Amino acid sequence: MKENDILSKIGRNDGTTVPDGYFDDFATRMIASLPQQEWEREPVVLHRSVWQKIRPYIYLAAMFMGVWCMMKMVDLMRPDSGLSIDSNPLLTAAINNDEFINDYFLNETEVNDYQLIDDLYMTDFDPGETNEIEQQTL
Amino acid sequence: MAEETSKYDDRDLVARLRNPSTCRDAFGEVIRLYTEPLYRQIRRMVVSHDDANDLLQNTFLKAWQSIENFRGEAKLSTWLHKIAINESVSFLERERKRLNLSIDDEESHLINQIEADTYVDGDALARKLREAIASLPEKQRLVFNMRFYDEMKYEQISEILGTSVGALKASYHLAAKKIQQYFDEHD
Repeated sequence: MKENDILSKIGRNDGTTVPDGYFDDFATRMIASLPQQEWEREPVVLHRSVWQKIRPYIYLAAMFMGVWCMMKMVDLMRPDSGLSIDSNPLLTAAINNDEFINDYFLNETEVNDYQLIDDLYMTDFDPGETNEIEQQTL
Repeated sequence: MAEETSKYDDRDLVARLRNPSTCRDAFGEVIRLYTEPLYRQIRRMVVSHDDANDLLQNTFLKAWQSIENFRGEAKLSTWLHKIAINESVSFLERERKRLNLSIDDEESHLINQIEADTYVDGDALARKLREAIASLPEKQRLVFNMRFYDEMKYEQISEILGTSVGALKASYHLAAKKIQQYFDEHD
């Protein structure tokens, strides 16, 4: 065809030129001017103190200690635990010891009576008046 | 030129583009590889070397900025040519508005630019062909340039322009016919 003749005669040269070294220069300039992308930046590393590093482990250990204490407490509160008087040989021996009871429990009562009388005298207590009241009552 | 580029197996290049640690170097390679074919394509549309230079920069800059979105589904060359063509067409549209040109005025504006172009090799026939191409409607000009100068396959042009192969063939033959008429009228 005639049209193909014209195009084949001209060829694929478009007749344009560029300044000397343009393509190499352009590529070099273009590569140098590429802006930095967000994803190219190094991720920011936050420096953590020793306390911040070990804190989770400390909290974890404290939590386990708390749980252990609770379990121990529940165990001690059981009737057959070591806190029962019957199962404690030291307490059993003390209660069965009369001397211990006299020294610590009975003497305690006497001391209380003495204190009571002492208190009555401190508040102007008159024993004669008390006798009169008792005789009237009888 | 585009044919030479398309022969380049860009699978490795695409893989490096998708890796953040190698992306910049790989894109540098893309620039070196595609500077000339993209420049030629843009220059044939906008005529002026300076405008082509600016638009080529914009093309690579846009490609770089959207490199994260390039999944490698389309060929690298197709993706880059698409950006270059969008840049060229947007530029011509802006120029039409800026200079308040009608479609007919644009033809004479482009022919004046071809006559004033300093970066030419002095081939009178080649210049006449450029003028004949400038007289074509924009879409036909694109199709003719890609098919005739860049020797692209209709399938690739179809991917770039989003037009059916049949329509592209018809457009190319119509463009060739108009060029023939132009030569007949300007003998």
